[in-house]
Amino acid sequence: MTEGLDLPTYEDVEEAADIIKGVANRTPMQTSRFLDSQLGVNVFIKCENFQRIGAFKFRGAYNYLSHLSSEVKSKGVITYSSGNHATATALAAKKLGIDATIIIPEDAPKLKIEASKAAGGNVVIYDRYNKKREDVAAEIQAKTGGHVFHHHKYVLAGQGTAGKELMEEVLERGDGPLDYLIIGIGSGGLISGCAIVAEKLAPGCKVIGVEPEVGNNTQQSLEKGEIVRIETPKTIADGAQTQQIGKLTFEIMSKKVEKIITVTDEQLIDELRFLGERMKLVVEPTGCLGLAGLRKMVASGEVPPNSKCGVIVSGGNVDMRKYFELIG
Amino acid sequence: MSQDLDLPTYEDVEEAAGIIKGVANRTPMQTSRFLDSQLGVNVFVKCENFQRTGAFKFRGGYNSLSHLTPKERDQGVITCSSGNHAQGIALSSRLLGMKATIIMPQDAPELKVNATKGYGGNVIFYDRYTESRETIAEDIQAKTGAHFIPPYNDKYVIAGQGTVGKELIEDVIDGGHGPLDYLFVCVGGSGLISGCALAAEKLAPGCKVIGVEPEAGDDAKQSLEKGEIVRIETPQTIADGAQTQRIGDVTFEIMKKKVEKIITVTDEQLVDELRFFGERMKLFVEPTGCLGLAGLRKLVDSGEVPANSNCGVIVSGGNVDVRKYCELLG
Repeated sequence: MTEGLDLPTYEDVEEAADIIKGVANRTPMQTSRFLDSQLGVNVFIKCENFQRIGAFKFRGAYNYLSHLSSEVKSKGVITYSSGNHATATALAAKKLGIDATIIIPEDAPKLKIEASKAAGGNVVIYDRYNKKREDVAAEIQAKTGGHVFHHHKYVLAGQGTAGKELMEEVLERGDGPLDYLIIGIGSGGLISGCAIVAEKLAPGCKVIGVEPEVGNNTQQSLEKGEIVRIETPKTIADGAQTQQIGKLTFEIMSKKVEKIITVTDEQLIDELRFLGERMKLVVEPTGCLGLAGLRKMVASGEVPPNSKCGVIVSGGNVDMRKYFELIG
Repeated sequence: MSQDLDLPTYEDVEEAAGIIKGVANRTPMQTSRFLDSQLGVNVFVKCENFQRTGAFKFRGGYNSLSHLTPKERDQGVITCSSGNHAQGIALSSRLLGMKATIIMPQDAPELKVNATKGYGGNVIFYDRYTESRETIAEDIQAKTGAHFIPPYNDKYVIAGQGTVGKELIEDVIDGGHGPLDYLFVCVGGSGLISGCALAAEKLAPGCKVIGVEPEAGDDAKQSLEKGEIVRIETPQTIADGAQTQRIGDVTFEIMKKKVEKIITVTDEQLVDELRFFGERMKLFVEPTGCLGLAGLRKLVDSGEVPANSNCGVIVSGGNVDVRKYCELLG
């Protein structure tokens, strides 16, 4: 039922844009003549690897925390994350003077765990294959009275600003509105926020989600018409290892996302190599989902030539050693 | 004598900016709060790894080819290059409808060789440790009448490269940061630093332009110190774009007057920056492209660059084989 859900609107995204202005980075959009000629389409890449803490997550965290009342802020916040949302929350909380406890899986990239600590977060580690993160959060809340958050309309609205900036920039260039917007899916926050923007700024733009093949819980959920839970998938896309999406993002994606496709880890590695060697961008594996998905849909003929395709590179937080293992 | 040299001026850099507009990329300038807090200065990184062909060389190549007469264009062009200038000339000549012959060292990175061929350049190899590329070029010129485009010692090439510094200084001023106090530039053949020094003199008078060479390949440093051009054996260094044996008379003349000093850094220091750029700034940079930041770090450590200085750093390119990149950092 949607009556119980507090869904974000485009106005929430506009408000988020104002709140994060001057705090989050307005990251560059990059194009590649080589990529365009390879695929026969026009690709516009939003580089959130250059965002503060190295991923788009900072937008949603900062927007959300900015909305908390002083009373709630004083008790501190608790959140769980595969990595980037953790660091984002830690930094956003520090900037706003709020205590933050971050619950991170043991096998999250060391770089992400260290970054959360460095940003001032109080880190709690758990085993994602044996325990539910929601349970760990509840345990901590019982002790500290802290405020638990993960997905909320203000988080989604914050993430939507990435899509807003991309679409605005493409329009300003005189290229016309996007035909496709292709976005990787972990818990679906980014695609949900961006889908709300696309509906407003580029009506007719098809928003496509991309998941790792072994972690296609969202694809299954949309096909089945109800939220499907899976075991933690083993994939190099460590930001897309979520077991199930939430009600909020399920509701938004069901209405506004055209479809969800999957790609293999090998396809992600190919993009990792392409983005590094050709576009000189260091990207994390999860950040390659969008481009891998676009390539798949061009190859299948589903995306016609000359289409204007927006792709979001969600982040660049990868251990260098892991990066080399994958692409070397 | 400098009277015989056709030296570029700032007006040539302005002209080049007009010629390359809409053809070359106006690459982003990136900053890093982490780097600034680490060094205690304000660092502005000009990302020429995002330039067409993956390095700044495209600018000088395109500008110089644009100045050829129709007759010269018909006869085609020829050049010698360790890689990035080769790609710059190959792409520029394709865009302008000319034939290009590129003489490249046998051990040039595979990525650079393939890219040059990919842009339509006709590649001829030589052994950089035993053969003379100049002799090979002269032979071909005698046969074909092709016009030689020097990789750095040419007024239009230098003016083109100077647009890098012009854009960076302009972006820093437009961003409300005030003019640069320092500009750190890698030195291979010294075309980039010469052009940028012309821009700095005009747009940020008082800005100290500092050249950075690999320790094993410090021919420009030696030349400035000695007051005459010093030639060295091809240095062994991971900075494959800075393995030149000697700088040119035009660039030497400019550097003598407009470059504050040239310092050197080790290959280990370059690898540290490679890691920093990748891990912290998410930038894929080639080893030569790390010279500028390594030099800045060295002068901050020594106390020579004072706290809060505005420091421009040019990342000259990002053309490195993924395998090589991994080897260096692994």
